[in-house]
Amino acid sequence: MPRNGKLARISLVVAAAAAVAAVAVVTAGAASARSTAGTINGAGSTFVAPLVNKWMGPVQSNLGIQLNYSAVGSTAGVQDISTKQSDFGASDAPLSQFPQFQCPCVQIPWALAATAVVYNLGGSLQHLNLTGPVLAQIYLGKITKWNAGAIKKLNKGRALPDEKITVVHRLDGSGTTYNFTDYLSHVSHAWSSGPGTGTSVTWPVGLSGNHSSGVSALVHSNPGAIGYVDVDYAIVNHLQIMKMKNKSGHYVLPRAAGIKAAAQLDTHPAKDGSLSIVNPPASKKYRNAYPICTYTYVDVQKSSGAATGDLKKLIGWAITKGQSFGPPIVFEPLPKAVVTFDKKQLKKIHS
Amino acid sequence: MTSLDVSTDAARRPFSGRRVRLGDLLLQGAAAIAALGALVLVILIVWKVIQGARLSLSTFGLGFLTHVVWDPVHFKFGAASFLYGTAITSVGALILATPIAIGAALFLSELAPAGIRGPVTALVETLAAIPSVVIGLWGILVLAPFLRDHVDPALHSTLGFIPLFGPATYGSNVFTAIVVLTIMILPIIASISRELFLAVPTELKEGALGLGMTRWEMIRGVVFPYTRGGVAAAMILGLGRAIGEAIAVSMVIGGALGISINIFQPGQTLAGQIAGQFTSSTSALFTASLLYLALILLVFSIVVNLVAQFIVRRSARHVGSAR
Repeated sequence: MPRNGKLARISLVVAAAAAVAAVAVVTAGAASARSTAGTINGAGSTFVAPLVNKWMGPVQSNLGIQLNYSAVGSTAGVQDISTKQSDFGASDAPLSQFPQFQCPCVQIPWALAATAVVYNLGGSLQHLNLTGPVLAQIYLGKITKWNAGAIKKLNKGRALPDEKITVVHRLDGSGTTYNFTDYLSHVSHAWSSGPGTGTSVTWPVGLSGNHSSGVSALVHSNPGAIGYVDVDYAIVNHLQIMKMKNKSGHYVLPRAAGIKAAAQLDTHPAKDGSLSIVNPPASKKYRNAYPICTYTYVDVQKSSGAATGDLKKLIGWAITKGQSFGPPIVFEPLPKAVVTFDKKQLKKIHS
Repeated sequence: MTSLDVSTDAARRPFSGRRVRLGDLLLQGAAAIAALGALVLVILIVWKVIQGARLSLSTFGLGFLTHVVWDPVHFKFGAASFLYGTAITSVGALILATPIAIGAALFLSELAPAGIRGPVTALVETLAAIPSVVIGLWGILVLAPFLRDHVDPALHSTLGFIPLFGPATYGSNVFTAIVVLTIMILPIIASISRELFLAVPTELKEGALGLGMTRWEMIRGVVFPYTRGGVAAAMILGLGRAIGEAIAVSMVIGGALGISINIFQPGQTLAGQIAGQFTSSTSALFTASLLYLALILLVFSIVVNLVAQFIVRRSARHVGSAR
């Protein structure tokens, strides 16, 4: 009968739709958030993002791997890899800085760069001089004007304005903050016993911006501002960069030579793969060293499942051939000893 | 077929009678599921937030609400700075937005020539459609420098004797956040008020004018009392939006810790702090403290909503009795 037939047709359509939906859900559930063959998904540090982005093309053409990277910040990157939401996590701070995340991971230093101290004053005041202790005083709120005696002393002959210093820092958890506060803790007792070192600290004064882009925007739009960003962001955003005094007494800019000299400080990573190269000591070897340099790490699960082969190929390429893409964006190639250590770390990854 | 034949019909065509009732049943069921689902969702969210904040609740207790501290390295957290920031930015935005919104609503309902009412109304409502992040970006690049260079110093020099208008140095401060929030809640209050003013019975308005009242006296004596409850509800709606706004506010408020009466100092709100730091948590206590902030924000919003309902109910009673 017509009415029954209509009911039968409706129920058939509904049943078919339900079956399709069930199949879709099951297959979606089976496919994990991790990679299919030939794709590697990574997340983490914004610091290393420019270099990783440069690697995407060559990795596709030379290794046949599609590399996807989300620059969500070091903390989010470590969280993702410890919950297996990605294939690798990129972080500027060593895993020991994230006690909250249990990650049976291998830590591999895979890039080397620096944090620039940036500021916004008139065009004629390029490359001012600053020392670590004075920088710490500024960030503690003890020195509040650009023409303060301590700053004038370092910049004899430069016309420093009678302008308030607007301190800028990062709101979100950041490896750049870790590097910067690590340096401040090394050069200032008041800092190390106060705010201390971390990816997220309590700042005595100043404004907070989200990500390096937020810090750049704040420094850019506030005359008299001072901040810290990765050196590449500083150059790309045409921010004025400070010359920092190293322990040997020289004022150095965050350039390749300065980073290379600083990297000599520690070329033998600790057992967990971490390295600290801030504030190299006074010695002829570190004459030209820039004092706020940092390694940045890639963290990989010890058992990485299906992605292991591609991951090993990718990282093996990144620490050797990939380093040649670094210098134009102020990333210094890894020292040989570190590359040797990294290759040994790679062996620890298995499926 | 008469109704007396229903039973035999049902026997011969077993599906027809049942299908009619089945449809009703389905409708009832679907609507009930939707309503229950919303309720269950709210309860689940509140429950999960409380659960997540438990570590911080037990570590800091109620002292969390009075401490001005946020130190992830030394595991010390407190909400006072952000509570103050949320309160002052949302109340400030409400104070600034309400007269402008009501003025605009009056203009569009009573005073404007008929021809321009349509386009201007549409424009005011388009203001509500601008995404928060776009307003935040405009705020940090255009509004903040403008206020810092032209408005803040002028306000400080003329009204500087009031501690509220202290020395102004930063462009990103509480005042800029207040202005941004005002822009965001203005269209909500304005469009609801406009609808309310239009709904006042014409005989009441014409009666007042017929008695010789001026236009303003008519508005003040007839329109405002009639729409009091609704306008209050609109203001609370706007306040609710201001309390919860995270993105636009966090981009222009400066992200600083501390409580200062000076509105030209940077600050931070509950929503802004949660949004800015959620991916940055480095310890279980840090995450729990962020969820504690979320719990405070939830309680704040619920209290504001309850107060709104109370005000509306009281005004409705008065309107009823006045008639």
